[in-house]
Amino acid sequence: MSGFDNFNTDFYQSSYSVDDQNQGSYGYSNSENPYNKQYGQYDYSQPTGYPSPGMMQPQQPYTGQIFQPTQTYTPSASQSMYSNSFEDEPPLLEELGINFDHIWQKTLTVLHPLKAADGSIMNETDLAGPMVFCLAFGATLLLSGKIQFGYVYGISAIGCLAMYCLLNLMSMTGVSFGCVASVLGYCLLPMIILSSFGVLFSLQGMMGIIITATIIGWCSFSASKIFISALAMDGQQLLVAYPCALLYGVFALISVF
Amino acid sequence: MAGPSNDMQGGPAVNLFTDPMANAAMVYGSSLANQGKDIVNKEISRFMSVNKLKYFFAVDTRYVLKKLMILMFPYTHQDWEVRYHRDTPLTPRQDVNAPDLYIPTMAFITYILLAGMALGIQKRFSPEVLGLCASTALVWIIIEVLVMLLSLYLLTVHSDLSTFDLIAYSGYKYVGMIFTVLSGLLFGSDGYYVALVWSSCALMFFIVRSLKMKILPSISSDSMGMGSNAKPQLRLYITVATAVFQPIIIYWLTSHLVR
Repeated sequence: MSGFDNFNTDFYQSSYSVDDQNQGSYGYSNSENPYNKQYGQYDYSQPTGYPSPGMMQPQQPYTGQIFQPTQTYTPSASQSMYSNSFEDEPPLLEELGINFDHIWQKTLTVLHPLKAADGSIMNETDLAGPMVFCLAFGATLLLSGKIQFGYVYGISAIGCLAMYCLLNLMSMTGVSFGCVASVLGYCLLPMIILSSFGVLFSLQGMMGIIITATIIGWCSFSASKIFISALAMDGQQLLVAYPCALLYGVFALISVF
Repeated sequence: MAGPSNDMQGGPAVNLFTDPMANAAMVYGSSLANQGKDIVNKEISRFMSVNKLKYFFAVDTRYVLKKLMILMFPYTHQDWEVRYHRDTPLTPRQDVNAPDLYIPTMAFITYILLAGMALGIQKRFSPEVLGLCASTALVWIIIEVLVMLLSLYLLTVHSDLSTFDLIAYSGYKYVGMIFTVLSGLLFGSDGYYVALVWSSCALMFFIVRSLKMKILPSISSDSMGMGSNAKPQLRLYITVATAVFQPIIIYWLTSHLVR
């Protein structure tokens, strides 16, 4: 309670004043009822360290909590609403921006390469799904005795950068790096199937080569399909699929050899 | 206002996401990233204009397939003139004779990966060797482009060949190189030499026919300058020298991959 002295009281305007301190001791703890009666005037809906909504607006622009460019509601109203009560808070996943329904939808798009893709699913870029897929790929490689997380990350970083440059040059509208990373990460899913297959059987025979070629084709076909529909590039699907095939070919090289 | 104040246990958890320090840090981080991106864009646009580069990547599948056929078998292609539309050259999508940078870039990367695979098959692979291959090839392209630029400049040839055009034309040899290495891997040393001869001849023909259109016609259109009419042979020599240089480079960069 004496800690209140150390806060800059001019940092936020609250109705708290130094005089309230004298009204007995209290701890910043969860024993609500005793001081509910004591500090009835005090607006305890603003917990310590939290500026009033008026202060917050000039201080920070909205940083996009859930979806990236589309949501523009003012932070102050929602956050003060959210902080008011526990039941009104958004669910944790929504605040973190992980939307399982979209993740599942994008995964299905990858798994059905022959079905036409919807261009609008790439409007919100999320890197949670690709991260999971990268880790799963590394884990399946681990199961077959190859500790190569570093190569996986390095190759995906270089590949994403190269695809970002290429797609920006080839398309009419630009593309953001997060979108490229997200698409390439999602289309890594069939590669996980390949490497888990490689745990059980050796991939170096003729059968392995055929399966590898099929999976590379599948990955690059779905990646190019999503890029084409999201960036509205016509007549360039094979041209986009070829660099994707090179990238996934390198991943396949790691899995096979 | 004081109504929901009994829900204190929501306070600390919400604090993490609404803490002004975390928000300020996030904003600072994203502004730093934006600043970095702006700096990179500014530096890149000082050296080359991205719009001009975009012209070279405006390709589609039909163009790429036709161009690859021409690179491998140029003898039946009739019309080598690059078409213009009101003083600007047509994009590669509309004119199959226009140079592009998609094929050379993809061919270069494919060549590096193929070199890695060839070395891996022969158990001579290591990441350093791959880097060595890549940088050797890159250096040879740079040397060739610089020599071409220098000779065109010294002989006051007023052609409309920009640096990117020269990079494109010197990058087309990688298609021949990939073909050569593949046949060397699949068919052994005989296949390698046959493919080498084939792709060298095709590439020489292609280069001579394409550059002839660009370098030599400036003789007739160039009415000023005394030196321009006096050296038509030198321009021919440049073209032929460029063409002869190609098989030498192809052999130099691929022979060590196919033993």
